[in-house]
Amino acid sequence: MPETITVCPVSDLPPGAMRLVEWDDVEIGVFNCGGDYYAIEDRCSHDDGPLAEGELDEADCTVECPRHGARFDLRTGKPLTLPAYTPVDTFPVVVADDVIKLEVD
Amino acid sequence: MATPEVLAEQQSLKGINADYEERFGFHDAENYLYKAPKGINREIVEKISEFKQEPQWMRDFRLKALDHFFAHPMPRWGSPMLAEVDFDNIHYFVRASERAERSWDDVPDDVKKTFDRLGIPEAERRFLSGVGAQYESEVVYHQVHKDLEDQGVIFLDMDSALRDHEELVKEYFATIIPANDNKLAALNSAVWSGGSFVYVPPGVHVEMPLQAYFRINTENMGQFERTIIIADEGSYVHYVEGCTAPTYSSDSLHSAVVELIAKPGARIRYTTVQNWSQNVFNLVTKRAVAETDATVEWVDCNLGSKLTMKYPSVYLMGERAHGEILSIAFAGKGQHQDAGGKIVHAAPNTTSNIFAKSISKDGGRGSYRGLLEVARGAHGAKSKVVCDALLLDEHSRSDTYPTIRIGEDDVDVGHEATVSKIGEEQVFYLQTHGINEEEASKLIVNGFIEPITKELPMEYAVEMNRLIELQMEGSIG
Repeated sequence: MPETITVCPVSDLPPGAMRLVEWDDVEIGVFNCGGDYYAIEDRCSHDDGPLAEGELDEADCTVECPRHGARFDLRTGKPLTLPAYTPVDTFPVVVADDVIKLEVD
Repeated sequence: MATPEVLAEQQSLKGINADYEERFGFHDAENYLYKAPKGINREIVEKISEFKQEPQWMRDFRLKALDHFFAHPMPRWGSPMLAEVDFDNIHYFVRASERAERSWDDVPDDVKKTFDRLGIPEAERRFLSGVGAQYESEVVYHQVHKDLEDQGVIFLDMDSALRDHEELVKEYFATIIPANDNKLAALNSAVWSGGSFVYVPPGVHVEMPLQAYFRINTENMGQFERTIIIADEGSYVHYVEGCTAPTYSSDSLHSAVVELIAKPGARIRYTTVQNWSQNVFNLVTKRAVAETDATVEWVDCNLGSKLTMKYPSVYLMGERAHGEILSIAFAGKGQHQDAGGKIVHAAPNTTSNIFAKSISKDGGRGSYRGLLEVARGAHGAKSKVVCDALLLDEHSRSDTYPTIRIGEDDVDVGHEATVSKIGEEQVFYLQTHGINEEEASKLIVNGFIEPITKELPMEYAVEMNRLIELQMEGSIG
């Protein structure tokens, strides 16, 4: 049974915004991409860059690592450009009672 | 008046690149349509984009890349010479002609004469499938055999490709080397101009090489070509590039970005004969992706430049993909060749070889810098890395910086490295067979690099051996 953690109220994460949450030493970036929520591990698979500090492209639903420019699909965690070539972890996001929550295990 | 003996001695004392000045070091008068003032800023980047009448997305890409360039510190590894690069003392854009012509007759006279002198039109007639000739910032001549065009092969200068095949360019541009990859890639992304775009359709084999030739003419020039090669499924292409520049007392900068994509079953061979004059910083990013059953080979020969930092890489992304890097570096007086290669095994049963040879002479410094990475899950990966250095005298230097990262148990990886000096016994042995000392040294050097020169197309192998022989002039004494 996955654990559920609370991120924030929906009103605190408008489209284009990002929130960083921590769970068990893992930092997770939660993004609002045009009304849809996605969560990925905040660590680039190339060189451990802080993905949540990168540029979010709402149209493509991607984030670009600020360190060397690898771009990740927020929906799948897969890299769309080098130098990263392995996916990062993704986490299911649920919204209940206007609160954004993450399922982690 | 000097006697023939004195002249011969003077000739041999010239040493490294003895006849560079005469063969390549000349320069033409400047009849340019536009020459940007020195220095890099937002205005220059916007001007380049405006000149080229680019779509908005490319203009935005350039400006964002410029921010990345300013934000990145200069690399603190590689070579102390990097500190000498003066970004404010470079012309970032120089336009010599209006467009890339398809006939040499339409190329401006001075420029055409230069390429004649470098033998490009002749090589094109004899053994090439297509040629792109870049002079300063832009390609002045571009042509490809009609039968290849009929088969759907695209071989254009990058500026024309962006105009004529925008969607295709957009699909691949900066996907292998993002603008923010490193400081120099960011700079190229901001001010790129020229370079080649190659697309080979599925199953098409381009039998004779495509060649690009890059020429710098003006002092303190910055040349930033951008090249993408896409070999679609089961296709084959060999791309060859050469370059030279005049000799000046102050420095120029060449910083290219080259991205290769070999689709399933395709093969790309990319050969470089780098012979910049010794006032050029050559700081280049080259990277390839090989998909399932695909092969990418880099044949990288570095003879010229003041400082070269270049590590062509292959990401083996599909099962059974193969990567090959053959690297020769010749470091003479005042030169640092920091070369090598990177291979990343990201899929099972992938194979790779890196063979690097460096020769250092007259106080030159040759470095091998390489990365071999096997990702978790890339079981059955096989790789062999061999780097050999030959020192021709006591003042020269050789360094090896190999990095190996293995994330999988079931792999077969080998690494060998040697450093040797030309042995008196070897020279003496050859002398006892009637070969003089200088010839003996040349023979030993030629034998040392032969495993790589034999991979060059014949015409280039001959030229390479000739260049090496010239580099060897005066190496005895």
